[in-house]
Amino acid sequence: MPMFTHKQWRRLSPHLDEALDMSEVERSRWLSVLRRENPFLVNQLEALLGEHEALAREGFLEKESLALRGALGLAGQSLGAYTLISQIGQGGMGTVWLAERNDGRFERRVAVKLLNISLLGNSFEQRFRREGNILGRLSHPHIAQLLDAGVSQTGQPYLVLDYVEGLHIDRYCDRQALPVSVRIRLFLDVLGAIAKAHANLIVHRDLKPSNILVRHDGQVKLLDFGIAKLLEAEGTAEEASTLTIDGVRAMTPEFAAPEQLKSEPVTTATDIYALGVLLYVLLTGQHPAGPGPHTPADLVKSIVDEELTMPSDIVARMKPSEKFTVKNARVRSTTPDKLSRLLRGDLDTIVAKALKKDPHERYASVTAMADDLRRYLRNEPISARPDTLVYRTAKFVRRNRGSVVLATIAIAAVLGGIAGTIVQTQKARAQRDFAMRLLTRAEAINDLDDFLLADAAPSGKALTPSELLARAEHIVDRQQNANETNRAEMLTSIGHKYVGKDEDAKAQEILAKAYALSRRSSDPSARAQASCTLGAALAHSDIKRAEALIHEGLAELPNEPSYTFDRISCLLSGSSVANESGDLQEAIARSQAAVGALATSPLRSDTTDLRVQIALAESYRVAGRYREAISAFERASALMTTLGRDDTETAGTLFNNWALALHASGRPLDAEKLFRRAITISSAGNSDQDVSPMLMVNYARTERQLGHLNEASDYAERGYSKALASGNQVVVNQALLMRARIFREQNDLSRSRAMLAEVKPRLQKALPAGHIAFAVLAYEESNLACAHRDFPAALQSINQALAITDGSIAASRGGEDFRPLLLITRAEIKHKLGRVDDAARDADMGVNELQRLVEAGSYSSDLGHAYYTFGLTLLAQGKSPQARVAFRSAVENLQNTLGADHPETRSARHLAEL
Amino acid sequence: MGSTVSSFIGTTGCNNNSATDALFSTLYSELHRLARRQLARRLAPSTLSVTTLLHEAYLDMSARESAIFPDEARFMGYAARVMRGLIIDNARSRSASKRGGEFEITSLDGDVFENPVNANELSSISDALDQLAEIEPELAQIVDLKFFCGFSFGEIAALQNLSERTVQRKWEKARIYLRRTLDKGFAPTSKI
Repeated sequence: MPMFTHKQWRRLSPHLDEALDMSEVERSRWLSVLRRENPFLVNQLEALLGEHEALAREGFLEKESLALRGALGLAGQSLGAYTLISQIGQGGMGTVWLAERNDGRFERRVAVKLLNISLLGNSFEQRFRREGNILGRLSHPHIAQLLDAGVSQTGQPYLVLDYVEGLHIDRYCDRQALPVSVRIRLFLDVLGAIAKAHANLIVHRDLKPSNILVRHDGQVKLLDFGIAKLLEAEGTAEEASTLTIDGVRAMTPEFAAPEQLKSEPVTTATDIYALGVLLYVLLTGQHPAGPGPHTPADLVKSIVDEELTMPSDIVARMKPSEKFTVKNARVRSTTPDKLSRLLRGDLDTIVAKALKKDPHERYASVTAMADDLRRYLRNEPISARPDTLVYRTAKFVRRNRGSVVLATIAIAAVLGGIAGTIVQTQKARAQRDFAMRLLTRAEAINDLDDFLLADAAPSGKALTPSELLARAEHIVDRQQNANETNRAEMLTSIGHKYVGKDEDAKAQEILAKAYALSRRSSDPSARAQASCTLGAALAHSDIKRAEALIHEGLAELPNEPSYTFDRISCLLSGSSVANESGDLQEAIARSQAAVGALATSPLRSDTTDLRVQIALAESYRVAGRYREAISAFERASALMTTLGRDDTETAGTLFNNWALALHASGRPLDAEKLFRRAITISSAGNSDQDVSPMLMVNYARTERQLGHLNEASDYAERGYSKALASGNQVVVNQALLMRARIFREQNDLSRSRAMLAEVKPRLQKALPAGHIAFAVLAYEESNLACAHRDFPAALQSINQALAITDGSIAASRGGEDFRPLLLITRAEIKHKLGRVDDAARDADMGVNELQRLVEAGSYSSDLGHAYYTFGLTLLAQGKSPQARVAFRSAVENLQNTLGADHPETRSARHLAEL
Repeated sequence: MGSTVSSFIGTTGCNNNSATDALFSTLYSELHRLARRQLARRLAPSTLSVTTLLHEAYLDMSARESAIFPDEARFMGYAARVMRGLIIDNARSRSASKRGGEFEITSLDGDVFENPVNANELSSISDALDQLAEIEPELAQIVDLKFFCGFSFGEIAALQNLSERTVQRKWEKARIYLRRTLDKGFAPTSKI
């Protein structure tokens, strides 16, 4: 078994996360899908998953802690009349062992609890035995009997209890998919057992699902009655701080009543509170404090301080789209909606009554609570009354008056400082203010999103993103009372979303409004964001203004760490603007500056990291530095997976751009896969309403190269119409060039010519002379001339294309990757014109330049095509051995990029074998 | 993200090795002192819960050095790494002098165990964990907390504000990594 390099592990790690989260069935299905994409990866994963299972079987590193090893040695030892067999559990209180009687009087298996405390003197030992005797007399069919309590020769206190095999009550209910009414009946058994204990003046103090088991025959058994009390009030002052923590652990904060946290007297009402929490969990599947996990401080706050969220509300609030919500309802044999309706009313009222903060306001007895539940089951009116609004408001005011003090005392006293806050230094205060500012902004925007989504839900129809954005704009427009800074920020945020969807006209309109508003604000961040985002939106249509806006935005921002994020945003917008203007060095410089700013930012996050990586990758890609681009895209994609955002719009953009880089490095098959993923992400159902036109045209380009002309033609046309409608000139132009090429290859030369005629004036209007786009136009004109067999005209056009490209390269505006393609085309034309030696020279040059661009050890379809052409010219020169070598290189490159069945691959193979 | 150490030192703005070393040795001696005190109080040699020890250490340290440890999660993450060192040193000193160890974190006694903890095994696990911490510090931290310090998945989840399932998955992943790394470097004589 080889060890991992860091690189290998990073690649495997996200896949392992995914795989380990699946059931076996899901996993094998997932692996077989993945295998088609990447069989090598799947082999590796399978080996690791096999090891994972072996490790789980052998329990590798599983012995909980080294401290436990001391106890392991106890197997076979005797405690009183019992011999320990094996350890079956461990908790805050100590370890639990399966044991049997060693005097042969009964064949009975018991559970022995070795308590994790040491004894301090005879008085405690006596008290321990006395309490144990009282508990031992408590006998009820639903209570696991305490059989014995004693102290071992080495001073270890232990308890001997009925051994119960079963599931925690909540798991049992879920496993059996018990509906609410059956859950209540089972819960009534629990109440019966506790009523009996309370009648004997025994309070449980630690009721929680793991202490309430349901055996396989459906019998409820309560464990650990009164044990929390046994552990209490021992020791000296010195011991107190440690034991307080163990005390909290023993009582399980999730199920603790407010009085337990405030160190007030524990009574039967304390158990009623815990029962309320248990009922809450059984009914809703959630803890009253909301979805966990909870820190001790959160729990204390929620238990002591916060108003209860009604069971029906907590269920209604769960996102209906989430698997958990559906499953949660399914294990109650119902649907999320019905569950919420079922709980609303009486069950809400009963639970709320048990969960009153003030013990005196709870049910007076367990029996009273049981009575109400029985009445509910019989559809009779219950005794508890729901709180009125006036009552709730009064309570709220009263509670909040002392709440801060209360929470502080509770935390400090009970948790002994675990949740204590740090003293703020001046620096920390500045950071906090900054965080507050971010928070306020985020809240305004979140609020808007919430409103939109909540508003959209009741209509019962899912809105598409475009519809949502249209609504958002409308809402912000009407919010005249929001302040200008906020409105500018909200509009900027919406406009930004339109930019992401390549709907330029819309984006410009909104962002112009945002920009105008922001001029009335003095907030540097709002001003800079509005100006940079507008700049980004204008990049395609008014490059000069765009560049000016970026400069203006960057100048707006004070050079302080608290504006780092705004600076990063502006730099990223600036990078995309520079990409458009053709200043590729500046584009890379800006995204590298963003990387630098992020590295020193105090609030670095994966999400920002991701944005910056994407921008960096993109600027490398536009500059034709594909190798660097592809590795930056890989990094970004890994981050995306870590963030669980593989299905988001950002992921769609990432896949699109990454695919472009792959396509450009001659890997159309790899590109095709990513384009498809990108399209799938933005297609809602069967509609392509939200698929970006740019993405469609890109996909068409790759399909064309793979020889799928019909698919290519279809997507190019749809991309064209969409881009025309949304006003994205760049995409319109690209689509026209693409369609010209596809029509030509489909032998529809007149339509091909029409496309070129349409695009030419558009390019002349939008772009400066000498732009690389004119080289592409000339290249298409040359190809069209070739198709008409007008080789002299073709040569003239291709020379023109080469001249423009060389000019662009000389001005560092890119074209290095395009030049070899032009050279190869010129070689073909010269070949047709019978200028064989000239042709061979061009082909040779083309091959050389391409080799420099293609990463060593990887394949390129362009390089394959270049070798193919080079081979043909060599053949024409009569150099057949050299030609064969060239054809063999062509085959190697073509079959690894276009596939073994592609016509060009087959023809190259044929020629290589001549 | 850097290693476990630098990721939290970074937040305090003292990103240099000497600060890290000082912190490590302070914490080490603190844990050492607490362990001795705990054991001295016990009448019978019972097991000493590492978890309790760490909680107590946090109370002591946070009273004095609140600026360094803004919260319990970060403290535990770091302290668990220190604890690992302490446990291994302890095991090592025991194997060197049989009964000469200063204190017993557990009753690591060859007479009681069929399977005495092998200090070499522990330290190769520790080496592998350090390697893992370079790539995925949070995975290494979970192993420290669980294996070396005896925290349950639930406790780790609450501490790090993750779901219990996520903690378990990370733990399973870490285990795969460690096994491969261990098999390469050192063949364990027995299961741990």
